[in-house]
Amino acid sequence: MYDKGSIKMLIAGVGGQGVVYTTNLLVEAALLAGIPVATSEIHGLSQRAGSVVAGLTFGEKTFGFVQRGSADMLIGLEPLEAQRCLPYLNRGSMAVIDTYKILPFAVNAGKASYPDSEQFESYLSKHLAVVRFIKDIDQLVETKRRNIYLLGIASTLKNFPLEGKFIEMAILNKSSRSDQKNAEIFNLARRIEKEKTSVHE
Amino acid sequence: MERRVIEILSSFDNAYETCAIGNIAVARGAIEAGVNGVFSYPGTPSTEISEVFSEIDKYQLNEQNKVKHPEFFRQKIYFEYSVNEKVALEKAIAFSIGNKAAMCVMKNVGMNVASDALMSITYQTIIGPLVILVCDDPGCYSSSNEQDSRYWGQMASVPVFNPATPAEALEMTREAFKLSESLKLPVIVRMTTRVSHTRGNLIYGKRNEQIRTASFQRMPEHINIPARTASAHQKLILKLQNELFKDYFERFNVLRQNRSKNDIAIIASGVTAAYTSELLHSNQLEAEIDVMYLGLFWPFPKKQLSKFLNHGYSRILVLEELDPIIEKEIKVLAQELALPVEIYGKGFESLKASGEYNLELVAKTIAAFSGLSIIEAEYKPLPDMDTLMGGLPPRPPALCSGCPHRATFYALKLAVPRYQSEMVLCGDIGCFGLGALPPLQMIDTINHMGMSVSMAQGLSAAFSHSNNAQKVIALVGDSTFFHSGIPSLMNAIYTRSNILLVVFDNRTTGMTGHQDNPGASKNPKHNQLDVEQLVKGLGVEMVTTISPFELKDSFRKIETAMQYDGVSVIVSKAPCIFLPDFASAMPEQFRIEVDPGRCNSCANHQDMDIACSRCGSALGNLSRAKAKLSAGHAVAGSEQLCPANICNHGFFHSILEGDYKSAVEVVRDKMLFARSCGDICHRPCELFSSAPAEDTVPIKQLKKYVSGIEENFIDFSAPRKRIEKAKIKGKNIAIVGAGPAGLSAAYDLLQQGYEVSIYEKGNAPGGMIKNAIPNFRMDKKGFDFEAGQIEKLGAKMHYAKALGEQIHLSQLQSDYDAVILAIGLGKSKYLDIISENIPADQQFDALSFLYQYNNHKLKTKAGSRFLIIGGGNSAMDAARTAKKLDPANEVNISCIESFDDMPAFREEIEHAMNEGIQLIPNSFIESCKTRDQALEFDLFTFDSKKPLQKLQADYIIMAIGQLGDKEALAALNPECFDEQGRIKMKKLEQSAQNIFVAGDLYAGNHMSIIGAIASGKKAAVDVRKLLETYHFDYEGKEALERLNTKQPENQVAFTMSDQEILKNIENFDLYQSCAKCNHCIENFGCPALVMENGQVHVEQAICTKCGLCVDVCPNDAIQWVTVKESAGKII
Repeated sequence: MYDKGSIKMLIAGVGGQGVVYTTNLLVEAALLAGIPVATSEIHGLSQRAGSVVAGLTFGEKTFGFVQRGSADMLIGLEPLEAQRCLPYLNRGSMAVIDTYKILPFAVNAGKASYPDSEQFESYLSKHLAVVRFIKDIDQLVETKRRNIYLLGIASTLKNFPLEGKFIEMAILNKSSRSDQKNAEIFNLARRIEKEKTSVHE
Repeated sequence: MERRVIEILSSFDNAYETCAIGNIAVARGAIEAGVNGVFSYPGTPSTEISEVFSEIDKYQLNEQNKVKHPEFFRQKIYFEYSVNEKVALEKAIAFSIGNKAAMCVMKNVGMNVASDALMSITYQTIIGPLVILVCDDPGCYSSSNEQDSRYWGQMASVPVFNPATPAEALEMTREAFKLSESLKLPVIVRMTTRVSHTRGNLIYGKRNEQIRTASFQRMPEHINIPARTASAHQKLILKLQNELFKDYFERFNVLRQNRSKNDIAIIASGVTAAYTSELLHSNQLEAEIDVMYLGLFWPFPKKQLSKFLNHGYSRILVLEELDPIIEKEIKVLAQELALPVEIYGKGFESLKASGEYNLELVAKTIAAFSGLSIIEAEYKPLPDMDTLMGGLPPRPPALCSGCPHRATFYALKLAVPRYQSEMVLCGDIGCFGLGALPPLQMIDTINHMGMSVSMAQGLSAAFSHSNNAQKVIALVGDSTFFHSGIPSLMNAIYTRSNILLVVFDNRTTGMTGHQDNPGASKNPKHNQLDVEQLVKGLGVEMVTTISPFELKDSFRKIETAMQYDGVSVIVSKAPCIFLPDFASAMPEQFRIEVDPGRCNSCANHQDMDIACSRCGSALGNLSRAKAKLSAGHAVAGSEQLCPANICNHGFFHSILEGDYKSAVEVVRDKMLFARSCGDICHRPCELFSSAPAEDTVPIKQLKKYVSGIEENFIDFSAPRKRIEKAKIKGKNIAIVGAGPAGLSAAYDLLQQGYEVSIYEKGNAPGGMIKNAIPNFRMDKKGFDFEAGQIEKLGAKMHYAKALGEQIHLSQLQSDYDAVILAIGLGKSKYLDIISENIPADQQFDALSFLYQYNNHKLKTKAGSRFLIIGGGNSAMDAARTAKKLDPANEVNISCIESFDDMPAFREEIEHAMNEGIQLIPNSFIESCKTRDQALEFDLFTFDSKKPLQKLQADYIIMAIGQLGDKEALAALNPECFDEQGRIKMKKLEQSAQNIFVAGDLYAGNHMSIIGAIASGKKAAVDVRKLLETYHFDYEGKEALERLNTKQPENQVAFTMSDQEILKNIENFDLYQSCAKCNHCIENFGCPALVMENGQVHVEQAICTKCGLCVDVCPNDAIQWVTVKESAGKII
């Protein structure tokens, strides 16, 4: 008998996109909400443009470890890095994925090709219960704040382990002007997603 | 930072719950234990521990903080990033001997450096507690090996704690201090990457408020002499058998044993304990398997484990990462106890002594061991993932945009002839090790800290012993240089090694997250060492500091340092992009953009299907980029255009790379006559250049040189392949005349898939060049070879077919889809006054004179006097030929033009004059007569018609021009001809749609080999426009028009020998944008330069505006623009 009392989450992206920052926010929010939380870097250097993946687990007796097939949620800050995380997902997983591509060097140099976006998106749409692809927000959000936008979208999804208000508090706890702006982006994303959902339902 | 300091220095009275990584937990544990001093060398995964103390140190150095928050000064903690781990541990030992609580922090391999200090202090004594915090790295995420530090406990006889979670890390660190103080022995807390970097819930506890007064107590133990060591060893062994361990074992080695007797058990240590705990909990299997979690594994808890083993298990699984240390101890113990228990460890399922374990692996192992079902069955992985997961491009870390290391590597790449030699570059540990990866690839070896300097001198010594002495390059980061590079450098100086040491001084210890080092300390309490001064002080004579973004200067200085025989040192000094100094250098109102018109675009063609043999290799473009930087003379490609559209840029750069074959290929992309043009081209590419003469590239001479290499010259395989691959057009073209114009048209048309038939009235190809250019001026055999290729390439040759006689234009017009007339001007003009008054055996026209000479049929008396009439190139040829017949011959040239207006090319005139030929410009023959076989001429001035001089001669040669053969072309409308019998193409077009003209017959076309070739190529384009949907103009049009209509202005003449030119060639650059580039991607690799649809653009969100790429781009496509000029996009 397997006890699924915990929620496991992956945040994937490219060094510099804010994987670490986003992870920190969720940890702070969990502390504020009084939910046991743990994180583990799956791999990566936070800088220098490499792949970075962080694992978060919410619940007793977990240590941040996310094994294959066990992620309840994926926040993909870059589509290729999200695709790399496919083995961690299962049919019940939810995913929020930015479609803004950052080309790795091998693609730049013509030594490899970037995977087909359409194929990836239709695959996920077919196999996951809930998936959001973030597109066309260039005019809405600065590149460096796209992670916050994604977090906003993710936080509205069913079964997300933390209430939005705790994340907002965590953002504002950082207490700089930039964080005020981050809070605005976070709430904007939540509003847009909720409006969309209410239309659909 | 301040927030973190306050948080970790607070909450000693009330339990405070937080969530932090294992390394922060360690720091808190040390603080709770009352640590007074922390000594460290940064190294992942240990670094965050040191960073906490570095922040506390900086906080406590600020007196204002003390006024505001005296409570955070109650525990003053000394901190330093020591020069290396050995010094850190030595200083920590001394700190403890001074009666203070010390901690020394390092990564796994740091213990190797520190071990000298560890191995002896255990025989002596410490006073205050000393905890050594070492972080292992199973899986080698950021280390050069995954050595197991638990061995140090066994080897040095010191206790080793091994926490499984952040919470345990806090507690064990705190208790390690107590244990250390009790035993007067250092204690190791051994972490692993996973535990160090995993964040978990923690409870901050009370602090040891004990006040320690610094003191030094004289004791015999402080003096290590052999007489005492044997007994000291025994004392040490006894320390590990101390009774107090019993309590520690009970506390840190936790048993989960059930009353109902389980038959199987697990012993787990380190992070595997956390995995086991999570798995047994989530699968509700805690009652099914007994578990022993070993937190304090050394000294080995023999009694405790004997009791556990005696429980009567039939099978035990030992879970530990890396080496089977516990497993072996358990096996020995089971043997001693004579228990019939099977012990499973390394080799069971996929348990290995290498790599990191994870939840999944442990789950599978436990499932296999216990036969119980563990999680996998509960998850439903997504189906058919393989197609989506196969071949995903990797994304390894790269040097940042704006990284000064990339700048240094790039300068090195330009200055060090790595591709052409066996130059070895020995790298070292640090961020800059990423320079080993594509695209920089400027590192051949990376070993352990500081090895670069030793590797270079060792290799250099090896080379010098086998007579291939060469300089070897060592590359080292600033922090590593201080860490362990200096002793090795001293060795290199002392042994007179021949090495270049490049110190990558980015003003911080970058890789581990920007810690201070002795050369770059931001801590006001510290001094700062200057690398250059230090190196000078050691006795290095050749040392210089460069600023790597000053590319040109850096490149030159590296070149100079490379030439020095002995130890030379370059200090490349520029701040890491994460330091505040870097940001301040960014100009705000500017940004960098790529001009798409220049990026990867060809300046030579619009039709990109035109053959280009330029290889476009990374190396080739590197030499282009280098030329941009280093050439003393640079000229734009648009200045040195060829009427035959030869890419002189590609030609020149192939030579610059030393690829002479490619240079010949680039010429042959466009035409047959590489060597012949090297001989007799009028070099419009040089003479029409408006660049200063000294900048002009000697294309003609280079062409002669490279096509003179027989092996390259005879190889026509490339055009042959193009013809084989060409799409067959199914159209037949007749070309009349096998001179250079006709052959050039044929060459291009064959390559475009046309069937070509050539009709020639003579018996061989070559036309006017073969017959009328004197043999001494060119390699006629080479010309015959080149001209002869056209038949081999598939043209059908029909000789002895004269137009108007054996063949007729109207017939050709109907038999072929198009006809190109290139029959030249075969008839000479005569002066009536000569024809009528001079005996036939004493007068020639230039063409027949030269024809007879070339075919060895000329019979003139030695020591004769020649008068040549005419100011054109054939007059010069005739005159020089006359002189060649016998140097005693007296040769005069009379022409009606003034000297400046003579149509002959300047060089031809100069050659003639240099050979002793007299020039009489502005003159004409007023009268002539014959006396005693001698010819007498009255020359008058042409402008004022006054007598000029009387002249005697034995022969007169008329070189006053040629006429077209109107009779052969009688079928054409008479309006098509000009007075010389040349065809006016515009008129022709109106009357005959499928007839084209090339060469001398084409009215207005330059009468020269290059003029002929260019017009032949143009005719081929016109044919294509007629017969296919081809819409590009002839691409050499501009240069051809200039040749046809203008006089050259540039008088450049080259006097250097081929070898001198080649020796100096790197001092020249002929630059233009090139489609076969990708240089910035292939050689530079800034992450902000992104390739899309074959062109590069700047990713503004990543660009740090270092500006180096502007200098790097050989196409000059990357430029600074002011922000308002560029298109507005949110960034």
